[in-house]
Amino acid sequence: MALKLKLHTQPDVPLEVDCISPDRLQSLSNSEISKQTIFHGNRQVNLGDFFDCIGDFDNEIIIEGDCSNIKHIGTAMSFGQITIEGDVGTHTGAVMSGGEINIEGSGADWLGAEMLGGRITVKGDAGHMVGSAYRGSAQGMQGGEIIVHGNVRNEMGHAMRRGLIAVGGNADDFAGVNMLAGTIIVLGDMGIRTGAGMKRGSIICQNIIDILPTFSRSCDYQPSFLRQYYKYLKSMGLTINDSFLDGPFERWCGDSVELNRGEILLYAGK
Amino acid sequence: MSENIKIVKNATCTFCGCVCDDMELHVDLDENRIVKTKKACVLGKAWFLEHTIEKDAHAAMIDGKKVSMEEAIEEAAQTLVKAKFPITYGLSDSTSEAQRQAVAISDIVKGNVDTTSSVCHGPTGMAFQGVGESTSTLGEVKNRADLVIYWGANPAESHPRHFGRYSVTAKGMFTPNGKKDRTVVIVDVRKTKSSPVADINIRPKIGKDFEILWALRALVKGKKVADDIEEQTGISLETLEDLVERMKNCRFGVFFFGMGLTMPRGRHFNTGALLALATDLNEFTHFVAKPLRGHGNVTGADNVVSWQTGYPFSVNFNRGYPRFNPGEFSTVDLLSKGEADAAMIIASDPASNFPKKAIEHLKSIPVISLDTKSTLTSKDAHVAFRVSTYGINTTGTVYRMDDVPITLNPAFDSPFPGDEEVLKGIKKRVQELMLARHNANGARGEAKVAAARIQE
Repeated sequence: MALKLKLHTQPDVPLEVDCISPDRLQSLSNSEISKQTIFHGNRQVNLGDFFDCIGDFDNEIIIEGDCSNIKHIGTAMSFGQITIEGDVGTHTGAVMSGGEINIEGSGADWLGAEMLGGRITVKGDAGHMVGSAYRGSAQGMQGGEIIVHGNVRNEMGHAMRRGLIAVGGNADDFAGVNMLAGTIIVLGDMGIRTGAGMKRGSIICQNIIDILPTFSRSCDYQPSFLRQYYKYLKSMGLTINDSFLDGPFERWCGDSVELNRGEILLYAGK
Repeated sequence: MSENIKIVKNATCTFCGCVCDDMELHVDLDENRIVKTKKACVLGKAWFLEHTIEKDAHAAMIDGKKVSMEEAIEEAAQTLVKAKFPITYGLSDSTSEAQRQAVAISDIVKGNVDTTSSVCHGPTGMAFQGVGESTSTLGEVKNRADLVIYWGANPAESHPRHFGRYSVTAKGMFTPNGKKDRTVVIVDVRKTKSSPVADINIRPKIGKDFEILWALRALVKGKKVADDIEEQTGISLETLEDLVERMKNCRFGVFFFGMGLTMPRGRHFNTGALLALATDLNEFTHFVAKPLRGHGNVTGADNVVSWQTGYPFSVNFNRGYPRFNPGEFSTVDLLSKGEADAAMIIASDPASNFPKKAIEHLKSIPVISLDTKSTLTSKDAHVAFRVSTYGINTTGTVYRMDDVPITLNPAFDSPFPGDEEVLKGIKKRVQELMLARHNANGARGEAKVAAARIQE
């Protein structure tokens, strides 16, 4: 049976709970888990003041209740699984290096920021800065996968270095800005200035977008690797239109103010 | 007008970021007001001449009732110490000495400190961190600049003496003929009162600054830009190429940028693009970029918060050490998301200019306000302090927009205390309360040393 953490009291100000990760809780008894220190605003309190702790840890933690005001769940985790049965607050899965986080509701800003490995799946929407670098950092996400079924906001994959971000809905402005490498796939609409300052990496869009004046069109082609990506995303529960599988794509390369080795692949079958 | 006139020379105007320090003020000491100003611009004149002391105002109030200073300081300190997420906001119209106390209070109560930068040139602060800054003082601009580019700014109305003192008609060592030695370019989406000053006016489509800056960067690096650039941005390729030639071939170029660049869609990427362009141009010539800061000491706020915490604004101390994260710890976000549970607002009026959701939350939490006049924020405040005006009634240090510190030369005394005095009182009390909380059985070790320091 999995370890269940049930939110019994809503916090007045944000809770910071970076102890909720399999690495931190794996060898603790339930009473020890209840005594883990968390931050309620500027006060140090115990996890048990807000969460009931039920069951035993067997690589999985299930979190019940509205956690939209709870930050840093699964930060720096390296194995196991966390399932969040509602919405969740900022920094979820930041810097994680392995394991899996499943969010049944919506995620918030800095979801999977600077993550190194593992997978985050969000059934709802996510906020700004998904898989991005923190302010002042040179590199964002460096590995792993983030799969968002809904929409995401600005600066997704800011300075990402490796890994995959797939979005079933729409993405806002500056997706893949300053990207170093990695792959971003958006099935819905894009905002403006996609891939600004990208050095390498691929951004795959299904709908017409405004392309920056520093990108140049190189060719139309049918990238065979995309078929594999789409098949994989289909298996992950995203709805993929079959016409994308073999569809022609326009390849735009950029950003010429940087290395010019990045690419935006734009579906041209419409 | 009475005979009792005092003349104050070399007074400093703290209205805008120019911080002109060559004012001459004639003060009527009987009526406690300034009756004449010399050298002040239209904004400075209004700042000085309309400054009056409201004699019937109370220095300290709790929930709208007059109280003693000690009671108000006690209540303010208790409110801050009780709160789980206290925030401090404002600071830009205050002296650096007062700002220092405010940062210390936030640190002691483990709160959040943010300045008005976060709704003004905050994106510039983020871009500095991401891209870097090629900088200079305004003195260098006056003496050396032969290409001056204003981007998204209207100094004729916001900083009226900027042209004359530093950047356009000012005569300097290598610019002896003033404007004749300079080329002035203004990039703005509309015609403003600054436009006639420019030799070249560039009027892009609204919200296309980033695209233009990006295209300029590509051209500077000798790369091609898309053929439809004029269609996209409203500016022809010829105009851009001409500007690039001028930028590459000038002796000393300067960008001054305003909120027309920092606040449209794209924010810190817009300013980042401009700073990156200035950096790129340093391969060919000397080029600098300076933000045109608005409030008198907003530059000081950035400097003080940076030197004390390591970050310019949106700094959080909840965990006992500073963390920087605009978007999470910026005041508008903290209030809109309903996260803060007490606020100390210094020399700012968020209740009149924040988004509706943020104002609603601000009204639902206890607010401590320090202001020189009655504002929407101070009217609804739990504890309201009426303080004296910096530059007119109190001395202190103010940073000009180019990070040059200037000492203030006040004109006359005010019956109200200065920001610094009030904040020092609150700091002392919160320190005592926090020490008492952590050392219920009497102070030990480091706490003892700290307690002794308070007594001093």
